[in-house]
Amino acid sequence: MTNSFKQLDAILRGDATRVSNLQRGEIPVSARGLVGVVILLGVLYGLCMGSFAVVRATLGDGGANAPHASDAGGQLVAAAVKLPLLFLLTLGVTLPSLYVFNALVGSRLRPRAVIRLLVSMLAVMLAVIASLGPIVAFFGLSTTSYPFMKLLNVAVCAAGGFLALAFLLRTMHRIVLVQDTEDPPAAPPPAPAPAPATTGADADATPTVSTLAAVRHPGERRARSVFTLWLLVFALVGAQMAWVLRPFIGDPQRPFEWLRSRESNFFLDVFQALGQLLGG
Amino acid sequence: MRAERLVGGLLTGAPWSVDGPPRRRLALLLGIIGAGGAAYGLVMGTHGGVTPDRWPQMTFSALKVPLLLLATFALGLPSFFVLHSLLGLRDDFGRAVRALLATQSGLTLVLAALAPLTAWFYAGGPGYRLALLWNAAAFGVASLSAQLLLRRHYRQLIARHPQHRLLLRGWLVLYGFTGVQMGWVLRPFIGSPDRATTFFRTDAWGNAYQEVWRTLLGVLGAG
Repeated sequence: MTNSFKQLDAILRGDATRVSNLQRGEIPVSARGLVGVVILLGVLYGLCMGSFAVVRATLGDGGANAPHASDAGGQLVAAAVKLPLLFLLTLGVTLPSLYVFNALVGSRLRPRAVIRLLVSMLAVMLAVIASLGPIVAFFGLSTTSYPFMKLLNVAVCAAGGFLALAFLLRTMHRIVLVQDTEDPPAAPPPAPAPAPATTGADADATPTVSTLAAVRHPGERRARSVFTLWLLVFALVGAQMAWVLRPFIGDPQRPFEWLRSRESNFFLDVFQALGQLLGG
Repeated sequence: MRAERLVGGLLTGAPWSVDGPPRRRLALLLGIIGAGGAAYGLVMGTHGGVTPDRWPQMTFSALKVPLLLLATFALGLPSFFVLHSLLGLRDDFGRAVRALLATQSGLTLVLAALAPLTAWFYAGGPGYRLALLWNAAAFGVASLSAQLLLRRHYRQLIARHPQHRLLLRGWLVLYGFTGVQMGWVLRPFIGSPDRATTFFRTDAWGNAYQEVWRTLLGVLGAG
């Protein structure tokens, strides 16, 4: 487990996805170990999410708002179990299509590399989300507003999603670079221009950026588009998956259930929560 | 003499006030935040006179001001760490934390300097609402000074990596967002004269943002 967390650290720092590693055609992480990390971080955040139900039940707001006090423990366990499940199921549902389209556009990323890349992305997402967990737990402990908690959690997950998106796009960008260096251009490379300022992790990539920017390698570039599109699909499937798996936070007005009946949808509910919150 | 030099260094944002052996520096900064915050909190709680029945409120307020700063800080720390890693600035994380703590200790120094003024204001026998406003103004002044300090303490980091500016903005959003609710939860700081002295007002927990929004709606609806 310690080893897996070291791998997570290497991914967060961008060490695992260095150009030198990608050149060797590998991302030196173990997908299995990272799934363990994802599950653990998911459980942690799930507990933070479930804290709202527990406090509402025990403090009780005078009892009127918490008719289902005995269910709070169930809600806490349910949130901790369902949160990692949500991310892994979403990945499972969207992975086959990504693989097929990735192969279709002629990318040379092998299935194993695709899986490692995606599990790494998931790990980044959950690291961000879990790191915001203490703030969510604090609001869960102190606030009485259910719509506020819903929107806060949506915002936290969205933040995790965007940072994971940035990670994935950065890595895809490096993979394109690697592909470019492997296929030297027929024309002489243009004179090296001053490299754009990049992060420290990108430092070893900058010379290739400047010399080979003009080169086009259609396979990997198309693969990047496929990944970008796929992320959109991932977000939509994830949102609906979250809706199917709800409740995570636990409406204080409704009894605890492992899964609620299928009604409405995620986006409608977020708008309604916004309306309730702003309606005062 | 050494203390004077240190206070001067913290308030002018001298790099040496943040650098040095990290552990001792951290302990020192945390100590200043605790002492400075407690000093202002103590005075803040004396509204209505320094009588034995005000002692609990004075003690609570002295505990709560440092707690407000440090608890908010601690809640935001994990995400600050992850964001540093993601932007490839992990090596600067320790320095960034010390810069933030130095800013907060500067803030408590400003507050502590305002404490005699608050005591003077209380001596005039203002009502509860006026005292509330006065303290809000004091915290406002301290926060503005902290903004200035933050810029000074962060100058070196930003010069090294411009992305520190981005991180700092993200931090301010998170810190402000959590801090407002933390202040709400830790009420009462002054202690309404017609209510019993308690550490928390658990009966009135809720959401600071919702309260503000409701008040705003009420004002707009009435106007």
